[in-house]
Amino acid sequence: METMGATGTPMALLEIFDPKAAPRPIGIDLGTTNSLVARVRDGKPVVITDCNAEKLVPSVVHYDPRGRVIVGADAQRLAVDFPRETIVSVKRFMGRGADDPETRRLGPYEFAEPKTPEEAKSVRFKVRDRSVTPVEVSAEVLKVLRSLAEDELRSVGGAVITVPAYFDDAQRQATKDAGKLAGLDVLRLLNEPTAAALAYGLEKQKNGLFAVYDLGGGTFDVTILLLDDGVFQVRSTGGDSALGGDDMDRALAEKILEKLEVGEQRPRELVRFALDTARKIKHGLTNAERVEVDIPVGDGKQIPIAFTRDEFEAMIKPIVERTGVACRRAIRDAGITAEELDGVILVGGSTRVPYVRQYVEKLFGKLPLCDLDPEEVVALGAAIQADILAGSKERADEVLLLDVLPLSLGLETMGGVVEKILPRNTTIPAGARQTFTTYADNQTGFDLHIVQGERELAVDGRSLARFVLKGIPPMPAGLARLEVTFRVDADGLLSVTAKELTTGVEQKVEVKPSYGLTDEEVEAMLMAALDHGEEDLEKRQLIEARVEAERVVLATRKALVADADLLEGDEERARIDEALAGLEEAIRGTRAAIIRGRTEVLDEVTHGWAGRRMDRAIARAIAGKDVAAIESTVAQARGVEAHLAEHAGHNAPEGDASGTGS
Amino acid sequence: MIDPFQTLGVEARFDLDPDDLARRHRDLSRALHPDRYAGAPAAERRLSLSRAIEVNDAFRVLKDPIRRAEALLRRAGVPVGETAEPKPSPDLLMEMMERREELGDARRRKDLAAVHALADAIRLREREVLASMGRQFAVSDPDSTKLAAVLPELGELRYLRRFLDEASAIEEELSS
Repeated sequence: METMGATGTPMALLEIFDPKAAPRPIGIDLGTTNSLVARVRDGKPVVITDCNAEKLVPSVVHYDPRGRVIVGADAQRLAVDFPRETIVSVKRFMGRGADDPETRRLGPYEFAEPKTPEEAKSVRFKVRDRSVTPVEVSAEVLKVLRSLAEDELRSVGGAVITVPAYFDDAQRQATKDAGKLAGLDVLRLLNEPTAAALAYGLEKQKNGLFAVYDLGGGTFDVTILLLDDGVFQVRSTGGDSALGGDDMDRALAEKILEKLEVGEQRPRELVRFALDTARKIKHGLTNAERVEVDIPVGDGKQIPIAFTRDEFEAMIKPIVERTGVACRRAIRDAGITAEELDGVILVGGSTRVPYVRQYVEKLFGKLPLCDLDPEEVVALGAAIQADILAGSKERADEVLLLDVLPLSLGLETMGGVVEKILPRNTTIPAGARQTFTTYADNQTGFDLHIVQGERELAVDGRSLARFVLKGIPPMPAGLARLEVTFRVDADGLLSVTAKELTTGVEQKVEVKPSYGLTDEEVEAMLMAALDHGEEDLEKRQLIEARVEAERVVLATRKALVADADLLEGDEERARIDEALAGLEEAIRGTRAAIIRGRTEVLDEVTHGWAGRRMDRAIARAIAGKDVAAIESTVAQARGVEAHLAEHAGHNAPEGDASGTGS
Repeated sequence: MIDPFQTLGVEARFDLDPDDLARRHRDLSRALHPDRYAGAPAAERRLSLSRAIEVNDAFRVLKDPIRRAEALLRRAGVPVGETAEPKPSPDLLMEMMERREELGDARRRKDLAAVHALADAIRLREREVLASMGRQFAVSDPDSTKLAAVLPELGELRYLRRFLDEASAIEEELSS
């Protein structure tokens, strides 16, 4: 096990004591049961430990009577006595609305009744005298991970946070918001199975089909991944959100209570003790064939209790076999057979159990990959991706993760039917545009209801957002032309724009899915969390503006060396030099607004040149092939706004599907 | 309107090699994907996002024979879209209606094997229509008056596709 500090390598010590430490990227596995943070050191990903050399932070948050927040192992200990004030497995609540019936099933919590429709967009836990959203609870876990990383790295750069491959837009948005709220610059959300594959360096094999078998404390996920010439794609996912190592502990604890001849009356302490003992025995049986423990029963007496691995395996057999159902289904959904798989990766602490490994081997017909610690593998992959995104690795030329949309995105139309705008498995980033028309005479508004899922009817899908486009002048049915544009970025996050075309009056509405927080809300929450409110926020904004500005200056200077020949005349060069000098002067000052303003000026004057540089990058990427075609693309050299205006979706059929009227 | 062939830098023809197309998409993604610009100034990040969306969209169009054919016809100035094209033949409509009824019956009987068989037959037919369309494109291009001759087959292809989508939804429903 790696420890930092006195036993760390000289290199690591140097990093610790360097007062000008550059911000370093981190990767975070924000798990249902446990969370971890990792980073790349000397080209290798390593998990960051706390002062006790502990790697796992239990994803448990306790709110104490004095308004303090306790996170991790300490909170876990408090969960038994304060089940309502201690949020465990908050991940299960991410992106869920207040009216989501699932939420009641997921724990013993009290929920705050939403007072406004705005509040109803997110479930709120009622803990003591306050109400908190899952985003805020997750942010508490992330803050602890951030400070762990800061202790080691001094300065944390961007972060990659992992999410399950099946997470929908609302859940992803909530995760990203939690990152923001924890003060992290979220570089990217990464699918957990892809992270695991990255940690194993599978991309070096260029091609292959892999299954990722992830059995955690309380959840099971299986994912089939296709690696195609260095590009990862999720082919199918499946799982059981209420299946994991905790079920094994419970089965074993039952037997312990039986052996202790405990009757119907089961004091809470005793049950807790049995569960703790069960966990210890389970861990012991990973390496030993037989484990014996002495159970104190008062008066200094002890009862010895022993379990063999065979007994344990008989107990957990039905639990483990339930994973097989989901696996076979995922294989079928991917349109493959188990024999076609090139490898199986084990993820999650429960895959340490020897019986689970045997079962996986039998199920898939091959020995699973388990060289890396299954509990660390996702965080390690996230750290690698963060490192690549931060641009510090030559590896960037080898790996590219092309994710796909896990669920279809569409709009509700007449009769509650969903019109799919972007089907699932579309490579992201993606965009599409669809035109709708009015169905009633003199209709002056459009109700837009954005839905995610595969079902035909909107009521069966996941409602992401609703908004009304108003102000359409009265005209006969079918004459108005409403153009709706969907854009999904590389994190799988959606934004929707709508405008009415015929009248010449363009109206644009930018919507974020309901479960996300607006930037202002995040800002307000940050403000509330800081002790000195405004002052701290200003300081923070100054630091952020400087970091961003320095990054832009650096990138521009680099480009001036590499691509000076693409500048159009001395005039363009002079404008850029001037903007650079202005920005550098602002960085030396202390006004965040001026830094941001001048960053924008630099953006503005470099923007045509940036397009030409991107075209050169394209030409290099497909060097030698169809040079003429590329040059004609280069010649188009459009501006960003033109791109935004005419991007994608142009080939969507101009359907006459009627928008739902209002 | 952006030409997907131009965006991907490939020749505008119907019989594109899917592997070449995928390779070109990957090469372009390597150069353009927003991950490559994570540390870049905001304007460049926006530009990379738009370009990557364009490339992904072009790939999505060209991968799909129906949308690829539509793109080719549009380029040649032939109006496409179900309202612009000639009405499908009554024979085709009649036949598809019968097939769909059979599909509906199989669904009610929960007869997964029958659904598979129906889908397989249509898939075979789809392959035949695609091959024929490919030949038609090869002899007609770039003559737009001749190109219009592929329209009936394109219409048929859409019907077959819709049938297959429905069949796969039923397959999913019955096997869950």
